[in-house]
Amino acid sequence: MIRAVVLAAVFLSGAALMSLEMAGFRLVQPEFGSDIIVWGSLISVFLGGLAIGAILGGRLADRRPALWKLGAILALGGVVALSIPLYSDAVLDYMFPGEGAPLPEEWGAGGTGAVGQLVVYMPPDLRWPTLGVGLLLFLVPSVLLGMVTPYAAKLLIHALGHLGAGVGKISGLSTVGAIVGTLGTTFYLITWMGTRWLLAVNGLVLVGLGLALALVHLATPRE
Amino acid sequence: MRVRVVAGIAALAAWVTILAAVPGASSEDSIIRYDRESRYYRIQVVDYPAQGRRCLHFSKSRGIQSSMILADPARLDLKYSQAMAAALALHREPRNVLVVGLGGASIPKFLQKYYPELELDIVELDPDVVRVCQDYFEFRGNAKTRVFVMDGRMYLKRAEKQYDLILLDAYAADHVPFHLTTVEFVQLVKSHLKPGGVVASNLWEKAINRFYLAELKTFQATFPQVYLLPAAQSGNIIVFGAMADEPVTPKEWVLRAEAIVRGRDIGFDLADLIGREYQCLTDRKIDEAVLTDDKAPVNTLRHEHPKHFEEEGASP
Repeated sequence: MIRAVVLAAVFLSGAALMSLEMAGFRLVQPEFGSDIIVWGSLISVFLGGLAIGAILGGRLADRRPALWKLGAILALGGVVALSIPLYSDAVLDYMFPGEGAPLPEEWGAGGTGAVGQLVVYMPPDLRWPTLGVGLLLFLVPSVLLGMVTPYAAKLLIHALGHLGAGVGKISGLSTVGAIVGTLGTTFYLITWMGTRWLLAVNGLVLVGLGLALALVHLATPRE
Repeated sequence: MRVRVVAGIAALAAWVTILAAVPGASSEDSIIRYDRESRYYRIQVVDYPAQGRRCLHFSKSRGIQSSMILADPARLDLKYSQAMAAALALHREPRNVLVVGLGGASIPKFLQKYYPELELDIVELDPDVVRVCQDYFEFRGNAKTRVFVMDGRMYLKRAEKQYDLILLDAYAADHVPFHLTTVEFVQLVKSHLKPGGVVASNLWEKAINRFYLAELKTFQATFPQVYLLPAAQSGNIIVFGAMADEPVTPKEWVLRAEAIVRGRDIGFDLADLIGREYQCLTDRKIDEAVLTDDKAPVNTLRHEHPKHFEEEGASP
């Protein structure tokens, strides 16, 4: 039982992570354009979150690991995902203000030179603001979801048998979940439910998963 | 041994030659003038000497962005750009215009030549496209023309200026980016129109599909008057939104177009085009949902057939 729920948690948190990333692109594009900068920023934030989460999750797992703690991490990730629509507009506007911002005419006039004196205004540099949006909106949930894999490995360490094969299995399962989350979201879910519902559904799935782990924890007899 | 090496080299050479010959190398029909990767597109400028044309492609396989008659650079060559020009007859007296999406600058050059008094602002995402227009498409500046290099929505959100005409032609190769299709964007466009202002938007699809209808519905939800000019066989349709209380009849629109072309040759018959293609959509029932930032499944809708769309005298 424990093994099954932990593996389910690994798979679904991998799926939710990538689903959130895809939703992130839809959230950011209206304000920052369909630019490769947006893709680069968000992917980096999610990878960074995974890295930090892996280190933190590993450390936490060494201090009295418990199933309910993994459940708490997942539920917390879910709550953060649920809360994103509440402040996403404010964050986008803070990093690249709309109202009251400098007019496009003031963003640095170009005039790309002599050819017919074409007057050209160049855009502001949005690389760091875009990365900032990614960090503010998605670093916390991706750190939390990044903690799941090492924590799960620790919980199952006795059930896994060979350590190499066991850790490989968990890591592989998480990545397969990520693929399912990516394709499921881009091929179907974005079309069916739109961005806000997608965030909500991911959040609810994670909260539900956290509760399920806590219940299994309570139902399991202590040693 | 030596024979094998020679044969191997020969085979390799043959393979490389084949590869080099396949992807759009210059042939008798076409000469590639420019072919470079920009931050957003693969920009190609191709001459077709037999037709006397120069075309702009964002990847050749993905349609023509713009076409120029070499002998007459300011002429509107593509049917869709001619249909866009009908906006000039929908408005009584345009003083300024915003063009979103530069392409090969065909519409800006046309406006500079035939409407020299018009203030012309252009928003284009890709700085390389601006450069290519100057270097290959005879696009020149003047005191009334300004170019803003940025995303169209980004510009509109921050600009204060209002326009008589807004012409939307922002294509990422073969599709409009979703954030330039939604009701939030169309409302932003509306908020930058002066009283009596007109917006024209180019939609290009391979076939009538649900995205077309959803976008028409989105215009319907935003503007008091909505018209359609399908540009014959090219697959483009131009949708017009107007800030007027009463719809304009085809007769009125044609009369105004005739007034525009009176006494000069703009290279095509604007009045005839309007008279032939006019459709009023203001009260037409469209069975699709409005596109929103939250839910704009443009990629899926584009591949789906419309549920039903009663076409009164629609395009052939």
